[in-house]
Amino acid sequence: MVTAAAPDRSIEADPRGRGTQPSATATLLAPVRRRLIVACVVQAIAAVAGVVPFIAVAEIGRALLADNPVDTSGSGLGVWWIAGLAVAALALRLICLLGAGALTHFADVDLQLDLRRRMAAHLTQVPLGWFDARSAGLIKTALQDDVKALHHLVGHAYVNLISAATTPIVALAYLFWIDWRLTLIALLPVLGGVVLYALQYRGYGENMAAYTRELGAVNAAAVEFVQGIAVIKTFGRARQAYGRFIERTSAFVEFFWNWMRGLLAISAAAEVILSPLAALLTALAGGLVLVSAGAMAAIDVIPFAVLAPALTAPFLTLAYSQNELMLATKAADRIAELLATKTLPHPGEGRRPVDARVVFDRVSFAYDDRTEVLHEIDLVLEPGTLTALVGPSGSGKSTLARLLPRFWDVGAGSISIGGVDIREMTPETLYRSAAFVFQHVQLLQTTIGENIALGRPDATAAEIEAAARAAQIHDRIAELPRGYASVAGQDARLSGGEAQRISIARAILADAPVLVLDEATAFADPEAEAAIQTALSDLVAGRTVLVIAHRLHTVTEANAICVMDEGRIVERGRHGALLAAGGLYARLWEASEAALTSRAEAAQ
Amino acid sequence: MIGALLSVSGLEGQRPLRRNLWGLVGDSVLLGIGFALLVPFLRALMEDRLGDATTWLLVMTGLLAGYAVLRYATQLAGYRAAIALGRTLFARLGTHIARLPLGWFGVERVGQIGHLTSQGVIDVIGVPAHLLRPLISALVTPATVILLMFLFDWRLALAALITTPLIALAYRWTGRLTARSDHGVHAAGTEAAGRLVEFAQAQPILRAFGESQRGLGTLDAALRASHAAARAQMLAVASGLVGMVAVVQLTFTVLLLFGANLALGGEIDAAEFVALLVLAVRYVEPLLGAAELGGALRIARNSVERMDALLATPPLPEPATPRPPEGAEIRFDGVHFAYDTRPVLEDLSFTAPERAMTAIVGPSGSGKTTVLRLIARFWDAGQGAVRIGGVDVRDIGTEALMARISVVFQDVYLFDGTIAENIRLGRPEATEAEVAEAARLARVEEIAARLPGGLEAAVGEGGAILSGGERQRVSIARAILKNAPIVLLDEATSALDPVNELGVQAALRALTRDKTLVVVAHRLQTVRAADRIVVLDAGCVVEEGRHDDLLALGGRYAAFWNERHRAAGWHLAPAR
Repeated sequence: MVTAAAPDRSIEADPRGRGTQPSATATLLAPVRRRLIVACVVQAIAAVAGVVPFIAVAEIGRALLADNPVDTSGSGLGVWWIAGLAVAALALRLICLLGAGALTHFADVDLQLDLRRRMAAHLTQVPLGWFDARSAGLIKTALQDDVKALHHLVGHAYVNLISAATTPIVALAYLFWIDWRLTLIALLPVLGGVVLYALQYRGYGENMAAYTRELGAVNAAAVEFVQGIAVIKTFGRARQAYGRFIERTSAFVEFFWNWMRGLLAISAAAEVILSPLAALLTALAGGLVLVSAGAMAAIDVIPFAVLAPALTAPFLTLAYSQNELMLATKAADRIAELLATKTLPHPGEGRRPVDARVVFDRVSFAYDDRTEVLHEIDLVLEPGTLTALVGPSGSGKSTLARLLPRFWDVGAGSISIGGVDIREMTPETLYRSAAFVFQHVQLLQTTIGENIALGRPDATAAEIEAAARAAQIHDRIAELPRGYASVAGQDARLSGGEAQRISIARAILADAPVLVLDEATAFADPEAEAAIQTALSDLVAGRTVLVIAHRLHTVTEANAICVMDEGRIVERGRHGALLAAGGLYARLWEASEAALTSRAEAAQ
Repeated sequence: MIGALLSVSGLEGQRPLRRNLWGLVGDSVLLGIGFALLVPFLRALMEDRLGDATTWLLVMTGLLAGYAVLRYATQLAGYRAAIALGRTLFARLGTHIARLPLGWFGVERVGQIGHLTSQGVIDVIGVPAHLLRPLISALVTPATVILLMFLFDWRLALAALITTPLIALAYRWTGRLTARSDHGVHAAGTEAAGRLVEFAQAQPILRAFGESQRGLGTLDAALRASHAAARAQMLAVASGLVGMVAVVQLTFTVLLLFGANLALGGEIDAAEFVALLVLAVRYVEPLLGAAELGGALRIARNSVERMDALLATPPLPEPATPRPPEGAEIRFDGVHFAYDTRPVLEDLSFTAPERAMTAIVGPSGSGKTTVLRLIARFWDAGQGAVRIGGVDVRDIGTEALMARISVVFQDVYLFDGTIAENIRLGRPEATEAEVAEAARLARVEEIAARLPGGLEAAVGEGGAILSGGERQRVSIARAILKNAPIVLLDEATSALDPVNELGVQAALRALTRDKTLVVVAHRLQTVRAADRIVVLDAGCVVEEGRHDDLLALGGRYAAFWNERHRAAGWHLAPAR
């Protein structure tokens, strides 16, 4: 039987995509290609075996009706032979279907694992800045949901296509052998269906694009409605915002209605003409005419009555599975795109820095090849000194600091530590030379001890504890149910300020000679501010430090303060000298002092 | 499924759905009869009664025409029902969401609701638009066919009928196997997804410490577990699917052999044998087709269930007869409040006097922000009452309450529109001049000056083109325009650059003049300037009074003040 066939037009994809898409998909599927080919062969056998029982029914009918039946026993014997063959074919089909299904489905899960591993491994090589532009949710979508969406492609699409092609071909061959004229007549509904489908898919691309756009608008309206709900309600605007939501959704419903309404006549006609009843009727009518004209024996109509519905069946199932196939292809494109993201080049064998002197040499940088955000920055961090980057938001200070741990690579110029360009170091050497404390603290879902020992996995318990003590967090850890063995996020629920101190302990233990510090942690946990400050003081001692300072008074003692504005260092020097110079720094300082006093007046 | 659909579609949405159902049953019956007529047609053809054969063929053609007309009509009705359902769902969900307590909207909820109110609705309206037809036809056509088979030969019909429960059983068995292993697959998938997110988020840290390979290790373990669960599910479900296909093939085999036996015995003629086996295929095939719809139906059902749950979330109760408050004094009377079971406020009582500034201080987790949220009715108090001007906030009515309050949050949300539009949200009927004045007072005009289009510059989704401090100033301008007598302020914990900091402070000064101000305070200067300071710890007031008095008391506040004071004077010192 052709029942389980749910064919679609996976490989015969639309011609527009032929240039690049098949190769992207083919590359993705390469690891399971051989298994898919075997599965297709097995599926083809199943499809042939699936037509045999139909032919058997027709042949039994013909044998029973044969003009001059031989003796009953002989005819009976023939009938039983055919029936036996049909039963055997059914058994073979069952086995082959299972085999092909197992092959494709195991190939699917194996491919999922393989792709996820490849993508994860790739993610460890892309510039860190790449993650800034993408939320973790998006990355999860690619690795989890998109990979899952390939299921239809790998698990079903190819074998279904084989089935959809094989079944009608075998049936047609048999019918041609019976009577070629009636076969041509029986094909008429298929022809009609093809024409109608072609009409239906005219303008499909634009409509689909419009559909996606309208649906996106609905989604945006919903998200805005929910995200802005607090603002909406506190400003008594619930009715208006709701109105906007309803407006967008109505527009969508309207569009959907018009689209479907426009297609309705054609799609209904296509489905009617391809329905098994229409196929059957066409064959029977043709048969009746031929028999009436004496051009055909009545019993030869029987095979057509049995097999005609099987000729159009693939088209209907094809239409149903098209959506899933489209989703799978899109998902494959996104995965291929992720895997094609440029990675940071790393040298095979790196050079080692001789000291902790950091040099930014005419460093320029642009995020998108168009707008340069850093222009020819020259900056030297002498070993053991504290250098502060200050400036208005958007001046480029965070970007400059993030070039050191290679969130991105410089566009022009170079950055070196101890005389070695950071691009010529292995990641291990770079990260052993420089440690980083970021504004956004990330604790791994593992024990607190391992979280601290991240930079030195071989550290002893005593060393970990010493680092925690220096970071003013040991006492808090000791209070946890399992101490250093407590798992972050499970039995160790830490506040922002506590997590911050864990990250400081991490950097203390890593003990790298160069340290990049983002000081925007100021009020993360106002009550713990003093403890964080003590920990930071301990951390910076004796290192070459580059600090992004948001509050000017925290860096008045720095060896050098670099004032950034619009991607350039516009002033540099010590606090006193900069103040006396009366430039941007002096103005910032003034604003900062004014802010301190005005807050008090604000409330009066 | 259909019951659930009727329940979410509301009363007015049910009629088109029901009418559509009957239409679908009708066209499936026509299709069934059309197939069944193959028996008399073939018999007439084989017995060389060509006139009769022509008659039967014409009847069949008539049935096909009837089917085509009904098919068109029901599809149209299906789309109508889908459209009506879509409108109803959007409206019901929208209305309900607008009435839910604000506190209900957590970060993770935003994404879920966004999905539910767009793709979720599409999934559900797909049921009347596309899924109902094959589903109904899969059940009704075979039922018609088998009934008519009884007319021709009761033995073959009975044989076909007997296998029906077997198919149903195999179908349910497969479903149960899937459901059982679904749990494991889902758990492993969730774990792997969590690890993935962690892996991506932790990239800076993992790499900064040269440990990206190790992060890969824990992720890989989760991926392998997920892979193993998927394989296990496949093996489990395979037996069900084998059963299903085997039963279907068995049905056909039995009919083939039984029919051949009857035909050879001369009990049925050859035409009947062929026609009945063709009917048998028509009987079995749609059933299997229905099984393939399972996935889409499951998705739709999940969406319907989540909509049901959302619609069942109790909205914020509104008073029958709202009472306007007299004045703007805020009073907490023995307020208890818990998030789920975690108590946050316990027997909290204090008064924030009218036209004065009350600062709330305390360690993180002491319930400071919750105090603001209860005043604005993000949630309702568990016990006790929050009163404004002597009236319980629950008796004021949401609109009247919100008209009296401006809230300045830490995280500011701006709508995708111009700066002016975002400000105007504070009072839509305000004149251009009033909007411009609010912008001036909140120092927004400085921001507008650097943007093309000035106040008419678009801010992007969520206010993306502005920095945090700038967004805050726009939100303050909005509140200035609204000019409500009560201002609730959650002071930002993050440091702004000095220029922005100064701008925000000027804006706040303009906003809070002559207002009843309750502020969750982090900055020392703010605290010192307050008319009244309420010190919270673990959801209780531990100290209350003016700065000087509290400092002299030498208690919690004094300790807090000294600690913060020391911290404020700290600076990073280079190595010596």
